[in-house]
Amino acid sequence: MPADDPLRDLPDRALIRRFLDGEEAAFRVLHGRHAPRLRMTVLRLLGRRRDEVDDVEQEAWLGACRGMHAFNGTARFSSWLATIGIRAACARFSPGSDTQPCEMDDLPAPPLPAAATAIDLERALERLPDRQRAVVVLHDVEGFTHAEIARKLDMAPGTSKVTLLRARHALRRLLADGASDD
Amino acid sequence: MTDDPTPDDLDLRERELFAALPRTSMPDPHATERLVATLAREGFLRAHAPPARRLRRLAAAAALFTAGVAVGASAGARFASRYSLEHALARTDLTVPDRVLLLQRAGSAYVTAAHGYADATAHADSTAVEVANEVLRGAAHAVLKSNLNSTLSASLVAVLQTPRAPSPTTATKPILWY
Repeated sequence: MPADDPLRDLPDRALIRRFLDGEEAAFRVLHGRHAPRLRMTVLRLLGRRRDEVDDVEQEAWLGACRGMHAFNGTARFSSWLATIGIRAACARFSPGSDTQPCEMDDLPAPPLPAAATAIDLERALERLPDRQRAVVVLHDVEGFTHAEIARKLDMAPGTSKVTLLRARHALRRLLADGASDD
Repeated sequence: MTDDPTPDDLDLRERELFAALPRTSMPDPHATERLVATLAREGFLRAHAPPARRLRRLAAAAALFTAGVAVGASAGARFASRYSLEHALARTDLTVPDRVLLLQRAGSAYVTAAHGYADATAHADSTAVEVANEVLRGAAHAVLKSNLNSTLSASLVAVLQTPRAPSPTTATKPILWY
């Protein structure tokens, strides 16, 4: 995308209108603007299924494009797209993963090691059960509320809260045990 | 998005770790092209939607072509002006053979112009024939005065002194040609 492309300055809604009119350049600008964030969210939600990220990303964008005419603009496009991407990623979760117990669930969480880094946290997130990882990623990384998470993951807000508590507990255990050494 | 309080909240150190996580990851360019191709296949994208870059190239080509035409027209006009009849008539450095040629060119130009005038006005203006004849007669008098050629002068005098009678060819060719 050329740096002086006038489309770059257009808001999402204008780009969407142009895309619905068949303009490829408008779609490329829209994609370039939102794909990096969506990809990282999907990548983190997938955990160790990193090799599926391209497929999920493609699925999310195609789903968004097919439903673009119904996008009414009341929400931000980035949130709308993220919801589609989150649903596409979570559809890859193993059946019953939401009830998958964490093996260290009942142990008391140790304090966070002083040497823990973001990389350690990333690797610890990968090791969480799918649903726990999804909730902690959406809440602590993406900043969604429990009500929003509940809507996106089709669960009760209370379930989201409990899952988050368990996920953080498990994360602390994993970080203390040195997830980076795994 | 506003966060709702969770009993087991993160401490400052944990918040810093989460904040340090990257939020973006660049998509694979090949995957992007695959996506665009799929959208095109599904009819979301116009087959020949011109990207901005192609439009700029077309505009540049059009501008180049227009500039070329303008330069060519300007050069052509200068060339035509330099070799025009008016320019040649104004020159004082012509040799005798050049002047003979110029006389022939001017004569031919006059005939052509008179022909055009007659064609354009013969059916619409009844005085056109007379006007053309008067112009030609004026030219003949000018030749006589300059006395270029005694034989030609004598012939012209004979023609001009002959009483004018309706000519059968006048209706179709109203100008006296030479």
